[in-house]
Formats: sequence, structure tokens, C-alpha cells
Amino acid sequence: MSKVDAFPGGKFDQLFVNLGPQHPSTHGVLRVGLTLEGEVITKAEPDIGYLHRGTSKLAEARGYHQCVALTDRWDYVSAMPNNLALCLAAEKLLGVEIPPRAQHLRVVMCELNRIASHLLFLGTYGIDLGAFTPFLHAFREREMILDLYEMLCGARLTYNYIRIGGVMADISPEWASKTGEFLGFFKPRMKEYDDLLSFNPIFLARTQGVGLISKEAAVDWGLSGPNLRGSGVDYDVRKSDPYSGYDRFDFSVPLGKAGSCWDRYYCRALEMRQSVRIVEAALAGLPEGDIVAKGVAKTVKPPPGEAYAHVEASRGDLGIYLVSDGGPSPYRLHVRAPSFVNLAILQEMLVGCKVADVVAILGSIDIVLGETDR
Amino acid sequence: MTGYFHRIARDSWAVCKGMWVTLRTLVKPSITVQYPTEKLTPEPMFRGVLLYDVERCTACGLCAKACPSNCISLQNQVNEAGKRAPKAAWYAIDLGRCSWCRLCEESCPFKPKVVWHSIDYELVFWSRDEMVRCWKPGTPLAGWVHDPKKDAFRDPSGQVVIQEVPARHDEKGPKHD
Repeated sequence: MSKVDAFPGGKFDQLFVNLGPQHPSTHGVLRVGLTLEGEVITKAEPDIGYLHRGTSKLAEARGYHQCVALTDRWDYVSAMPNNLALCLAAEKLLGVEIPPRAQHLRVVMCELNRIASHLLFLGTYGIDLGAFTPFLHAFREREMILDLYEMLCGARLTYNYIRIGGVMADISPEWASKTGEFLGFFKPRMKEYDDLLSFNPIFLARTQGVGLISKEAAVDWGLSGPNLRGSGVDYDVRKSDPYSGYDRFDFSVPLGKAGSCWDRYYCRALEMRQSVRIVEAALAGLPEGDIVAKGVAKTVKPPPGEAYAHVEASRGDLGIYLVSDGGPSPYRLHVRAPSFVNLAILQEMLVGCKVADVVAILGSIDIVLGETDR
Repeated sequence: MTGYFHRIARDSWAVCKGMWVTLRTLVKPSITVQYPTEKLTPEPMFRGVLLYDVERCTACGLCAKACPSNCISLQNQVNEAGKRAPKAAWYAIDLGRCSWCRLCEESCPFKPKVVWHSIDYELVFWSRDEMVRCWKPGTPLAGWVHDPKKDAFRDPSGQVVIQEVPARHDEKGPKHD
């Protein structure tokens, strides 16, 4: 359905269409240069860099604790896993043992952030395809999560909550009960999203069988996260390389079948259910103890060496490569950003598709340009 | 032919299910806040506009060192002997650079903190100059513009909304520690 021969009968002139960088459906400042033949795309060139801030270079002039504030600005829709990835890498360099309570709190926050991020995807993807109502529903719930974060750490998007050695603040009983309230409210809502959007015939017609990614292509292009799992490849960092005590929690990794836009969409919808399970289990079994490891100074100077840590962020496998020369700031910070890698497959996927499907495919990849450009 | 009608029935049912969700939500109270007339109070932990208490500050400079965006600048007072006194001559925060991370507040050795995030989230400027807020001992007002190049203070002739700085932590102070 998605791949159509470019008008086998006649020869058409090539038409260049510029999508973005101010297009509302590109979810940020992404520009895609499309070459069309009739309605069929013959060439697609994603153009990035409009939001480049050079954070990996900026990190070289900042202390390790200050770098955490920079990580918030990569994937600003789900900043907790960003914080966590950098802290894990720095803690590897320092050789710090994290108290179990802090580890549990990190898991809770990352999973709540995954729900918030997938809710944003769910709402905006509906808008991309002409369904406005799910957006309002999804944002109502997302707002509750952001309120929880505001209560806990004071920020709604750029948290700076997970710190090297632990977390910024402990949760209060009031926070825990509010989170329980939210989860109780949220669980029945997921069926409503299915009624509203997931199994809506118009939505199905726009997404099922559109933007197919085969298993092989997904692995070849280095996709990760729900984009990879939508194609049926079972890879989740939380399972394959557990960090922060994820191996202690019981959850499943939802997989798609066909690798179409709908599979990627529904993978995220199912992942939210698993995240709810993890948050509930983590809050129920929250151990007592410190929230910050002992022996982490205000200015840390890790011994010379290098460390790599990766986490399953909301958009995929977020990796941090950190090199220390013994000084107070990193010698080199490299980010393997999932959005950046996931975006690359667009140039292959869009070729042969109709121009009307571009927004559906682009939205299903779920990129955040802050992370793509860094 | 049966397949055709079956599809019509199935798709209509799916649309009805979606509309039923909408209808159920319709009778629930609205959660929208009509912002300018109706304002929410942020949580006490909220990281809003930075405030500073010039009377208690010893100008140790830990906050300026902790800041990832280098937005805090300060100058010690000089006593009669020509040595640095533990008192700030002036203290400026470039709110245009601030990344609202609370590292300055955490690094402050005083309790209650001398520099802290208030819960004020309404921050509007007419120009980039006004983003720099400066505090000086003796003046209870913040909002004087500090020009770092000339090391001088300019009054932007009423352009800045001069706001009174709470001298102590009242209801705007942080609740933790």
C-alpha cells in the first residue's frame, strides 16, 4: 500500500517540496526536502541542525554536576532518562555505589517520564492525522505527571532531578499518594485512547500498512526503542543490559508485528501500561535509606578513564560516552541520541510513499529535535 | 455485498465508541484554567525567578561557581584596610542565561538560603538589558540594570517593573531543608 510505482505510464517533472522547518507536523525544527514525481516521493532529505547548541562541547567547560543541567535540554519531552544516562556514566567513572532507594526513585521517575512522553506522542500523532480529541485527553494526563514533577523537584520539563550519586529530593508521603491517585485515574484512560484513536477506522486506514520497516532494515539503520520493537525486534536496554535495578521489576516488552506506523504507535500505547506496572511495583517496594551516595563531592574529579552507559529512554537507546582526564570537567562527552539515529531511516522509508503519508510516517518515528541536534 | 455493510456497521460502531468517550468527558467539569484571570499557585518546590537577600550574603561566590550557565556575577565590598569584606557590593543575576537548575541555591551555605528560587513564574522583559537583575545593599529593590562592560548601574527609566524583594523567606521560600 505504501510503495507505489512512480507513474509507470508517463514521465513527470520532478517537483521539489520543502517541508519544514516551521511546519507544525515536523514536531520542531526539522526540514525535509522532498522531491516528488506526481504524488510519489522519489527523494527525501532530512535536514537537521536548526536547534544545535553544541552541548557536548559545552560540557567540556563545565563540572560534572553542571553537565546534568545540560542533559535536560536534549530530549526535553522526557528529560529524566537523559539525566540518568549521564549520571550512570559519571558514576561508572567514579565507582560510586548508588543506594537502593535512589535507584528505585530513578526508575519511578524515568517510567513516569516515559508515560508523559508517550502521551505527548499519542496526542500529537492524532493531531497529525486529523484527530484532535485524543490530544486534549492525553495532555490532561500529561499535565498531572508534570504537576507531580513540579511538586517533587520544582520543574516541569527540565528536571535536573537525577544527580551524580543519587537524586535531588526524596518523595513525600503526599507525593506517593498523589502518584497512586494519578495511576488509578490513568489506568482506565488507556482504554479510552484505544476507543478514541487506536482502533478508529480512519486512523487505522491512515497508519496500518503505511511506513513499513522490515526487521532487517530496522536493525541495519540502528533503530532503537519503540521504532525497533514495532518491527518485531525484541531489544530493550532495560532487559538486555539492566541498569538502576530494572532487573528487579516484572514487566514485558511489547512488540509490533508488521513494522507499520500503527505498530509503532501501538507499541508505545502498550509500553505505557508496562510503565504503570513498573511505577506501581517500585513505589510499593520502595526501600528505606539514603537518597544520595556518600562520598560524592560538590566538585567531582573522576580518575582518568572512559565510561559508556546507556539507558532505554522514551525514544530508544540513549548512550553516553564519557572520557575523563582527571580534571573537574569531562574531557569528552559523546551522546548517542536515539532520535538522531531513528531519523536517518526517513530518507529510505519515504521514497516511494505518497506525499500524504509523509506526516504519518514522520510522526510515527517520534523524534525530538532537541535531541537530534543536541 | 455483506462485507460492504459489515464494514459500514463496524466502522460506525468504532466511531460511536469514540464519540461516547467524548460525550462522557463533556459532562465532566472543565480542567482548563483561564490563565490571566485565574492563576495557579505553583508548588513550594517550584523553581521560579531567582531572588536574593543582599543583607545576609557574605559574597562567598559558591553560587557563582556552581552555576552551569555563568549567570551570577558579584563583587565583594572592600573595607578600610583595602581587603575584601564578607559583604556584597553588588550582586547580579542574568535571568536571560539562567537555566533554573537550583544548583546555586543548593550550593549556598546559609539556612535559609540567601539566593533561592521563588515561585514567581511570570517573567517578562522589554529588552535583553532588563534580564540582568542587580541587588545592592541599602536598596530594597531589584531590577536595576548592571552593565558588566562599564561596571555601572543604569536605571532604565521606568522600563523595568521594579519589584520589591522579600527580605526574608516568607511564603515564597523553599520548604526543603
